[in-house]
Amino acid sequence: MKAMNRRKLITASAVLAIVGLASTALPAQAAEVGVSSTEIKLGMTLPMTGTASLGYNKIPGAAKAYFDYLNANGGINGRKVTLVVKDDRYVPTEAVAKTNELILKDKVMALMAPLGTANVKAVASSVNPARRGVPVLFVNTGFSGFADTKKYPTTYTVLPSYIMEAKIMGEYIKENFAGKKIGLLYQDDDFGSDALAGFKTAGTKFAVTVPYASGSQGAAAAAGWITKFKAAEADVVILFGVSSATSAMLGTAAQLKYAPQWMLGSVGGDATTIKLTGVPAGVLYNAIGFSPVPATTDMKDEYVKLFSDIYAKAVPGSAFDLNVLLGMNTAFMTAQALKAAGANPTRRTLMAAIDSKGATFANSALVPAGYSKTSHVGLTGYWVGKYAPTGDLAPIGGTYVTYTTDSGSGAVVKSTYKRPAMPAKGLPN
Amino acid sequence: MKKVRLLSLLSVTALVTTVLVTAPTVANAAPACDGKSPIQSCVGVTSDGAPYAMQVPANFNGTVALYSHGYRYNVDIPASIPLIGGYKITNTPEPVPGGNAEVAKYFFSQGIAIVGSGFARQGWNPDSAIKTNVELIDTFKKQFPKTTKVVAWGSSLGGVITQGLAEKYPQLVSAVAPMCMADNIAPQLTMAGDFLWGVKVLFDPTIKGGNYSAGAAGVAESYADLGKVFTVMGKLQAALATGAWPDTSSATGKALQAAGVPSRSALLLLGLMAGLPTQSAHFDSISGPEGALKLTFPLALSPALAILENGTNAAALAVLATQDVEAQAGGAIFDNTKTDYSARIEGERVIYNAALSGNTVIDALLGALSAANPGAPRAVANPAAVAKMNALHVNTGKINVPTVLMVGIADPITPAGASQRLVDLYVEQYAAEKAAARKAYQSSGTYAAPANKLLMLWNTTPASYTKFDAAGSPITSTPAAQGTNHCNFTSAQLVLVAKSMVQASGTGRLPSGGALYTAVRKAGNLSVDKGIRAPWLKSYGNN
Repeated sequence: MKAMNRRKLITASAVLAIVGLASTALPAQAAEVGVSSTEIKLGMTLPMTGTASLGYNKIPGAAKAYFDYLNANGGINGRKVTLVVKDDRYVPTEAVAKTNELILKDKVMALMAPLGTANVKAVASSVNPARRGVPVLFVNTGFSGFADTKKYPTTYTVLPSYIMEAKIMGEYIKENFAGKKIGLLYQDDDFGSDALAGFKTAGTKFAVTVPYASGSQGAAAAAGWITKFKAAEADVVILFGVSSATSAMLGTAAQLKYAPQWMLGSVGGDATTIKLTGVPAGVLYNAIGFSPVPATTDMKDEYVKLFSDIYAKAVPGSAFDLNVLLGMNTAFMTAQALKAAGANPTRRTLMAAIDSKGATFANSALVPAGYSKTSHVGLTGYWVGKYAPTGDLAPIGGTYVTYTTDSGSGAVVKSTYKRPAMPAKGLPN
Repeated sequence: MKKVRLLSLLSVTALVTTVLVTAPTVANAAPACDGKSPIQSCVGVTSDGAPYAMQVPANFNGTVALYSHGYRYNVDIPASIPLIGGYKITNTPEPVPGGNAEVAKYFFSQGIAIVGSGFARQGWNPDSAIKTNVELIDTFKKQFPKTTKVVAWGSSLGGVITQGLAEKYPQLVSAVAPMCMADNIAPQLTMAGDFLWGVKVLFDPTIKGGNYSAGAAGVAESYADLGKVFTVMGKLQAALATGAWPDTSSATGKALQAAGVPSRSALLLLGLMAGLPTQSAHFDSISGPEGALKLTFPLALSPALAILENGTNAAALAVLATQDVEAQAGGAIFDNTKTDYSARIEGERVIYNAALSGNTVIDALLGALSAANPGAPRAVANPAAVAKMNALHVNTGKINVPTVLMVGIADPITPAGASQRLVDLYVEQYAAEKAAARKAYQSSGTYAAPANKLLMLWNTTPASYTKFDAAGSPITSTPAAQGTNHCNFTSAQLVLVAKSMVQASGTGRLPSGGALYTAVRKAGNLSVDKGIRAPWLKSYGNN
């Protein structure tokens, strides 16, 4: 037992108080894990190799391209932002191991954009970022549960939830395909559960629903799915799965000359990723798709123009696609959060900055973000488009019509949101 | 190493080995000592008939380390039973874990004596074993009056005994180290019961899984269960890739098979609802062979293989401990009439969704296992037996003396959550002690900060460890990975625990700071990271 008398205790308290006062007047000093006087270190886990990595493995390069641009322009209060990337191959247990490495060995300040519902959930329960006070910024999954601030107090979503997406799809169907027979293919996990919940709220009635277990998607399975949709005489078939399921379905459907009106969820709707699986982008033609950020070919959009220029210089020859745009957008939002976290950012001030200012962070999305002191909800809607023969998604009629909603019972409304102008040079103010 | 020291080490090894096979002498008599140097050996029997062994170095410094061994079956096992056949009941004293010579060498090098009992009764025995240890401490002190400090440690059930000793008799011990500690009897046997019940209702309804008859008939039933459980595990292993169900499956199991539910997904779900780790001696749920299964193997197969390996490992103890405690309590002690298995796996169903074959299959399995399905009758306990079981020794988790815990993250028999529970309870205890100290300061003007009394050493698994042969098949002939299997510790890790305990007994303070980190790093595969959190055993609910 350490004994301390009252006088000593008072003296110690006084010293602490003086140190506390003095520290507010000191110049930038390292006082947080992952933050030095010259660097802020962030960590990311996602599939970089293997079959699940297609498309997603461009996200780190995109984020790094933005951070390099940021660093070349002074960084965050003179500190460089560096991103440590670990390959989890989309395996939850490996995500746990790699996240542990990021926190314990690499000593990152925060985790950024980890990918996959199962992986983020496994990390939350085994690595416990919340218990360690480690921020988990802008997770790359639309599972609505991650916005639960009681269960995941340090986690921030960015993508609109799958519930929101399904609700908006349901609204679009109501407006455009009333009386048609609707079919739904969905992944048989939390991803799909969210979708089912959203469609239920939207009142969407299905002629047939076809679940597939994650990992079971392939051409043989797709032939079976098509048989079911044909039997139900579905006019519109919604593919609410991952890109490999979309590829399997559209590739097989093209061979079997099966051509309903396709409607693709945003997760499985990236043309570049689909092309990487060997399916020609042309199979996407005329399918309906959804995105929260502008079309990647829309060079009139100031964010798309700037980000594509930065990316072209950083990763020459690599196509600027949805994964790249989202990766750079997330990096840009992270930079603003770090800037807003003060001269000496800490994990606490970083999260406080998002809570208080996150809803006003500039970003490319055409829909509002829902951050507040009580909400870790990111973007809240989509615009609806159709795929061109090249596989590019473009707004129907050439104008972005955006819908916004929540993950609860709130209505789907056409958004009047006006995106704030991009800060000068795309750098945080 | 000089020649003399090498010889000394050899002699120590020989002595420890000798102790492990020495026969007991007359009960409650003074120990019989050989008077040899540099290590004097004594043997004897406590009043309850428990044989013990003491080894005292010539440079005895007054500290003695009391070790409590883990669970030993209290029945002989017929040779025909796989894995554990041929075991004979033994109460051979064990003064250091498994007779580990490196550990003994450390103690003797510090002038510390070692002592251990074989206990009078095997099986679940904390009540009697704690009494035995109390008597043994007294006997040792009388024999060696120079004794000033006792440190106590133990493995598995010995961890329960050690923690119980520190809770009931803190004045007798200066520091303790419960290693790979079991939880209290009810949560441990609930874990065993949940898994056995699931195996019974899905894969072989002729398995009893509990509610064994009294006496020899019950023992025979448990032998039969062991054979059946191992047979089912073998069939599940053979059909892991195809997902076929054992031919012994119940009507409920066959209906699931007909619905296209793979048996591996059913097995994994049983493991998850019981709380078995999804990493095992040879399956990390991370690695895959090169080629087409690189991703599919860890996502869809490895978790089920880990449950298969862990379940097989834990099955013998689950059956035999259930039979043992039922015999002590006088009836069935496992009851799952109110268990909500859906809630049990709520956190894991998305993480292992691919291996569980998706929500539709998970829901089908949970429906089949629900209390509403007459094809999966729930187990009903005998209330009087449950009351008697609960009246057996129960640890509160209070930390009275400096305590070192060490456990494998993926220990399938005494899950890491049992140690986590003590860690969590100590957080509350420490906060209360701190509040009391502050309150005392208000009146006395003197602030005495409470010292930390708990050090948690996590034996972690390597980043990845499943190995594959050239054909892509997993290799299971290699030694178990660190952090897996039961009490799978290296000598270096055991010595670190011993050193930490001894240091705390001398100074009242556990190792901390840079010295601790260096020692932990040198011991290998250990972590003191406070962010690690193992789930409590499932019967506690969500923690």
